[in-house]
Amino acid sequence: MVQVRMMEGNEAAAYGAMLSRAQVVPAYPITPQTELISFIAQFIAEGRMKAEYIKVEGEHTAMAAAIGASAAGARVFTASSSQGIVFMEEPLWMPPGMRLPINMCIVNRSIAPTGGLRPDHNDSLLQRDTGWIQLYCENSQEVMDTIIMGYKIAENKNIYLPVATCYDGYFVSATASKVEVPEQKDVDAFLPPYKHDWYSLIPGESKERPSRGGSARNRYEVQQANERAKKIIEEVDKEYAKTFGRTYDGMIEEYNCDSSDVVLMTMGSMTGTARDVVDDLKKNGKSVGLLKLRCFRPFPTEEFQQLAHKYHVIGVVDRNTSTGSAGGGIVSMELARALYHLDDKPLIANFHVGLGGTDVTPRQIEYMADKTLEIMKLGRVSEPVDWVELKDLGPVM
Amino acid sequence: MSELDRRFDDYYAKRKFYGGNSCCPGCGGPLFWRMAMEAFGPRTIVYGIGPCAGCTMRSIKLPSFNIHFSFVADGASGILAAFRAQGINDITVISSAGDGGTADIGLGKISAAAERNENMIQVCIDNEAYMNTGIQKSGLTPYGSWTTTTPLGKEAPKKDIPLILAAHHIPYVATVSVAYPQDLKKKFEVAKEIKGFRYIHVVIPCPTGWRFDPAKSIEVTKLGVDTWLWPLYEIKDSVLHLNMKKEAKPVKEYLETQQRFRVMKPDQIEWLQKETDRRREELLTLDGKKLFY
Ligand SMILES: Cc1ncc(C[n+]2csc(CCOP(=O)(O)OP(=O)(O)O)c2C)c(N)n1
Ligand code: SF4
Repeated sequence: MVQVRMMEGNEAAAYGAMLSRAQVVPAYPITPQTELISFIAQFIAEGRMKAEYIKVEGEHTAMAAAIGASAAGARVFTASSSQGIVFMEEPLWMPPGMRLPINMCIVNRSIAPTGGLRPDHNDSLLQRDTGWIQLYCENSQEVMDTIIMGYKIAENKNIYLPVATCYDGYFVSATASKVEVPEQKDVDAFLPPYKHDWYSLIPGESKERPSRGGSARNRYEVQQANERAKKIIEEVDKEYAKTFGRTYDGMIEEYNCDSSDVVLMTMGSMTGTARDVVDDLKKNGKSVGLLKLRCFRPFPTEEFQQLAHKYHVIGVVDRNTSTGSAGGGIVSMELARALYHLDDKPLIANFHVGLGGTDVTPRQIEYMADKTLEIMKLGRVSEPVDWVELKDLGPVM
Repeated sequence: MSELDRRFDDYYAKRKFYGGNSCCPGCGGPLFWRMAMEAFGPRTIVYGIGPCAGCTMRSIKLPSFNIHFSFVADGASGILAAFRAQGINDITVISSAGDGGTADIGLGKISAAAERNENMIQVCIDNEAYMNTGIQKSGLTPYGSWTTTTPLGKEAPKKDIPLILAAHHIPYVATVSVAYPQDLKKKFEVAKEIKGFRYIHVVIPCPTGWRFDPAKSIEVTKLGVDTWLWPLYEIKDSVLHLNMKKEAKPVKEYLETQQRFRVMKPDQIEWLQKETDRRREELLTLDGKKLFY
């Protein structure tokens, strides 16, 4: 029977790993991921989850063990955050090039020295060039569903790429929201056991995919796999909807966008707040919609190119910084490149909010919506990025 | 094909090791792996590297898997977990790293794998410096040795990694040398039968880094053992067993065989001799005793 419960994001993630029958879990604790791996350890101790938990001494080893286990035929799950992800940098580059379908939760948290324990997206976005697929979740249900879908995408033999399931620390990881827990038999039917066609380390039947033709060839293949993943992500989302009755609209969700002149674009937990604000603004006659970017890697370029002509301005809300960049946050720069060659393209407004995990408030979202509308009227963007947090916007609500 | 070629091919056809490799002449790496492999059955896989990245590894006729120099014992832990998860428990996993990998960049990893008592044989292929990058000092470079980063000789002594590992309460630790092949093979055979984390540390001759005539590889390595600079012992369930208790040759005899020690001053050599003597006495007293609980 489908169970319905209030669940924090971390518990939902642990359920996602358990329902996916992850077999090996090498992990090292860090706030705000810690609860997630504690849940898994508990599930294993209670005999509810059959998996090998490797209590490693650091994140470098966590990912290295994940690589070994994945190549040796096990479905692997791991998770980390912030300093842990940065500490893991060296091994993080390996699974895409080695084509190992590891699933890792990045429970987003800002990076020292300035960040605290609360989230922004620099830890995961820092990994954007590695080849990992990156999916961003808004709430507990989406976390659980995305992990299950993630394996289905990653283990597709035309893809064989690792997947990062990203969700904001605290706002998602430690906030309870309603979750439908699917039945194990349905997940089993959706997600068959893991088998990598290219690898075996068993003596006698051993094979390891020969690396073909150097770095350019390998990176090209990873790029091609990323391209193919776009279609697979959409397909898996549809199949999931058919089986479990929930869809996330693939890579980009257009929310309340009908007859909108401009849109804001968000990732992660702030999307929930933005939905409410956009609904209110629409009621008050403001022509603002919302794009939720679920999939940052592969970047849904073609999809953006198709929807771009509908809006005069896209206001990108970047919960990250790329200091010294060509202008603004990482998501806005990606979007600009994706739209550059279009004749009929929207202006791109850019905002920095929620850095170091400060709240992204309804007031801020309203401000960004107004700014985006103003830019439409003006017909040009006057500052490359608006550091919203540094402005006094009056009372929070 | 000459008679010599034929004999070469015949010999290697019977080994778990291909003839020919990209290591330097006189390198102890291929020797070591060929001997170690004799002790293992076909249900064996090798994780990691050493010496000089993959110069020998590529010649092993068993499945091997490595990630990178800085990945020590870690991937092997994952492989073991994956095998357990699939109900496979008859495969011996050997995990290998150089002295830099073992004593420096991967020491924490090895320590953690030892603490978890991972069911693997961890091997340290010790050529006493970072050779792959062109002779820089490691934590296992001996006292007084020249390297490109210790042009005046290394200030600190070699880390005592076998004892550090033994202090992890693992079931088996052994030091071996390619100059004593019987002892080496025997220890691998012993290790194979034990469950849990086993650590075997081999010092291999490196003519390129140590600066000596490759033809003298075995001679030089043997002197290392015979001077007690590299004593051969086992620590089984924390009990020390010395395998070689002969009279010690003067360390000077060993140092003089290699140009890397040319920078050593007489007082340094004297100090090293004294320390080695003291160490020998200490080991002889501890022989047969339990070192750790
Ligand atoms: C993270 C990282 N740091 C540095 C290097 C450069 N590097 C490659 S091999 C090596 C040292 C190898 O020394 P050792 O483990 O003793 O093996 P050997 O080559 O002597 O057999 C270094 C420093 C690297 N490849 N990766
Ligand atoms: S540098 Fe030394 S260890 Fe490396 S291949 Fe040459 S002889 Fe062997």
